[in-house]
Amino acid sequence: MAELGPARSWRTGFFVCVWLLLFLSVSSGSRDVSGGNETSGEPARDTPEDPHHQTNSTAHKKAFPVLSFNYHDVRKPFVISLWILLALLMKLGFHVIPNISNVVPESCLLIGVGLLVGGIIKAIGEDAPVLDTKLFFHYLLPPIILDAGYFLPIRTFMENMGTILVFAVVGTLWNAFFIGGMIFAVCQIEGVQLASVDLLSCLLFGTIVSAVDPVAVLAVFEEIHINELLHILVFGESLLNDAVTVVLYHLFEEFSHAGTVTVVDGVLGVICFFVVSLGGVMVGAIYGILGAFTSRFTTHTRVIEPLFVFLYSYMAYLSAEVFHLSGIMSLIACGVVMRPYVEANVSHKSYTTIKYFLKMWSSVSETLIFIFLGVSTVAGPHAWNWTFVISTVLLCLVSRVLGVIGLTYIINKFRIVKLTKKDQFIVAYGGLRGAIAFSLGFLLTDKERKNMFLTAIITVIFFTVFVQGMTIRPLVELLAVKRKKESKPSINEEIHTQFLDHLLTGIEDICGHYGHHHWKDKLNRFNKTYVKKWLIAGERSTEPQLISFYNKMEMKQAMMLVESGSAAKLPSILSSVSMQNIQQRGSGNRRAIPSISKSREQEIRKILRSNLQKTRQRLRSYSRHDLMLDPFEDNVSEVRFRKQRVEMERRMSHYLTVPANRQETPSVRKVCFEPEHQVFTYDNSESPRGPRARPDPGPLDAVSLLSESQGPNKSREQKAKVPEEQEEQDQLKLSRCLSDPGPNQEEDIS
Amino acid sequence: MGSSSSRMDHIPNAEQLMQETGFSAAHILRLYARFEFLDKDERGELRPEDFGALRGLAMNPIGDRIIGAFFSRGKETVDFPSFVRVLANFRPTETNTIRDGGQSFSRTRKLKFAFKLYDQDRDGKISREELLQVLRSMLEQQVTEEQLQSIAERAIQEADLDQDDAISFEEFKKSLERVNIDEKMSSHFLR
Repeated sequence: MAELGPARSWRTGFFVCVWLLLFLSVSSGSRDVSGGNETSGEPARDTPEDPHHQTNSTAHKKAFPVLSFNYHDVRKPFVISLWILLALLMKLGFHVIPNISNVVPESCLLIGVGLLVGGIIKAIGEDAPVLDTKLFFHYLLPPIILDAGYFLPIRTFMENMGTILVFAVVGTLWNAFFIGGMIFAVCQIEGVQLASVDLLSCLLFGTIVSAVDPVAVLAVFEEIHINELLHILVFGESLLNDAVTVVLYHLFEEFSHAGTVTVVDGVLGVICFFVVSLGGVMVGAIYGILGAFTSRFTTHTRVIEPLFVFLYSYMAYLSAEVFHLSGIMSLIACGVVMRPYVEANVSHKSYTTIKYFLKMWSSVSETLIFIFLGVSTVAGPHAWNWTFVISTVLLCLVSRVLGVIGLTYIINKFRIVKLTKKDQFIVAYGGLRGAIAFSLGFLLTDKERKNMFLTAIITVIFFTVFVQGMTIRPLVELLAVKRKKESKPSINEEIHTQFLDHLLTGIEDICGHYGHHHWKDKLNRFNKTYVKKWLIAGERSTEPQLISFYNKMEMKQAMMLVESGSAAKLPSILSSVSMQNIQQRGSGNRRAIPSISKSREQEIRKILRSNLQKTRQRLRSYSRHDLMLDPFEDNVSEVRFRKQRVEMERRMSHYLTVPANRQETPSVRKVCFEPEHQVFTYDNSESPRGPRARPDPGPLDAVSLLSESQGPNKSREQKAKVPEEQEEQDQLKLSRCLSDPGPNQEEDIS
Repeated sequence: MGSSSSRMDHIPNAEQLMQETGFSAAHILRLYARFEFLDKDERGELRPEDFGALRGLAMNPIGDRIIGAFFSRGKETVDFPSFVRVLANFRPTETNTIRDGGQSFSRTRKLKFAFKLYDQDRDGKISREELLQVLRSMLEQQVTEEQLQSIAERAIQEADLDQDDAISFEEFKKSLERVNIDEKMSSHFLR
């Protein structure tokens, strides 16, 4: 109870804060809406007041206003910021409450909050802000799609491209026509008062409701961690069906104004589909290439690199929207094309920035979308018609299930790895509708039917997100669907996968069959010989994929070590270091670790902590305009650095093959030789001269130290030594090597 | 129908091959046609030069290993049954009909084939030198010896569980456990 006390009081304090903020936002929002009417009045009022002030001031001097209140000028950004802040606090709040986020997916909670806020606003009697279509399509949707497209797992996506396309195109068409047609049939039933709804409106409605929504799918699937295949199937479908939705929507909209449909219109529709989708992809690819090309020249202006990625992608989206092409496909194509080249060109920091900004924006967007969905639900004019709504929901489910089963039957004839019944179930169940359907519905112009349609759409959205979203996780566990395997990058996998690719290409050549592998190989070759030369700067343009993979892996591991060191938990460093490279010796390791005495452990911990923190602090001082000469980015030292890193790795790896009972000491020593540590070695003695990276003397000396004291042969000899003595020696060496990074001091030890 | 059955008579042991490998008659015919195409001198058997005539294979970094896989130890030529047997390794497995035991059997068979390509001296292990050779051929002289060494070192460290400084078949299988071998090592053409 005593423990819960402070935690509880924190939580209650937090919630009080949140509710205060809520009221503030609501009231300011309402003031904003009501104030909107007054804005026109105010300036007019102001000007007549001014001469008044003048005359007043001449008449009797007004005291200088120390504190004045001028909410009017900052109202708009203030309200927007307040809304966003509220949304994010809500998101935070869900994770403070321990159990809810396990049961209810975040999207549901956010919609719930939106409903609440909408209810409060309505109760106050004001107009709530609605999910404006422009706001949605131009500001809220692009970050989410860009985030998804940039981090799309290309290999899996391409391997399943056929299946995804079939689901996206044929599946959506089937859904649209089935739902539209059946709803029309339902409307024709006597006694339902829906006879006035014509076929084209029904088809239009069917189109809007049939599209699987990427935002909702992402939000729910993100939390259940199913295996990559299913994830990419549903998600890929939700992305690619945008082209179909756009075409069908515009088609039916035109037709419902024109009134009649001819065969020519149908043919034009099909052509339009190809233009929309391929055109979108092309626009995206062009911007992607531009972005990659630009990133080639950014070696001296690293700070603005991420902006290029974002802006080119956004321009791709907007350009596609100008021509009524599929903006989503354009955005995806841009991200996919740009990514490999940009990643080869930008600095590590920019890469991290891009990643985090994308994640951040998409997170904010998603949160806002769901909250606004809730608010709009409460606010919007509704026209509830039991038959229509219930039949819509039922038809959505039925058509989805039928569509998936039928298509899978056909697809499985062409797939090597067939989709099982479980897979089909998840694909069908994961067809969630979301805010895109809502926004498209909002664009409808037909007045009375619009409200009925909107109500039905909202019901479907709520049903899929709440019911399907909440139950999918227990169902996944119940059906024991394969989950996402934790992926540690493995150099073996990479080598063998490439080997197998070559093998299969060769076999296809022998069979005389130009298959999948053949074209992939051709593309890779083209990429290597022509494209990379143009789009990647410097020597990295000729770097084979395996090498970049290897370097990336090494760097990641190095960073991880430094970061884990700052937590200053010694056993975790040891286990993480030793677990990285030495697999099944874990049991031996764990037994070995506690043998270091407590006091020694404390000492080592203190040394590590202080040293790694020093590294951090040195890194933090920088000026806004020039990035610190980071050895990772300095081209001159980069080549040398890489070579040394490779050499160091080689020597380091000798020590990791040392047998089990000598585990802790070599691994502890390993921390000392982390590339990071050596690289950011600004000698204490030389700090007045300013920060200067000195990679060259450092590593070699350090390595030579190690090689002298402990070659692989010698390690076996030293097994015989008394453990205590060894520890003491190591302790001393360790403390010296960590606290005296400069090359001069190292000579003492050797 | 008549023509295909008469052509099947040209092929020695067609029935037996079909049984053994699971190929259908149509497939055997197709493969025979391909075999005849490759066999320019109409000898009834293939030699390494016949394979080497394929341009794609010549450009393939591990082309010579693949060609070598067709020739069993000591033999200079490949006859049609051996040709078919090797290619049968790349048939997609019917996952719906084979139960779990069958599935892993075919996976193991495919992996064994790949392993043989690495392990040129057939000692049952991929030594460091063999791995280096593979890396060298795949990376096509664009990297330094140092880098190759460190990659090979790292790869062996990662995979080598019994510390014998080489990768055995079991370790090879384990390092590829996350890869869907059935998908990766199958060709549609050979269904």
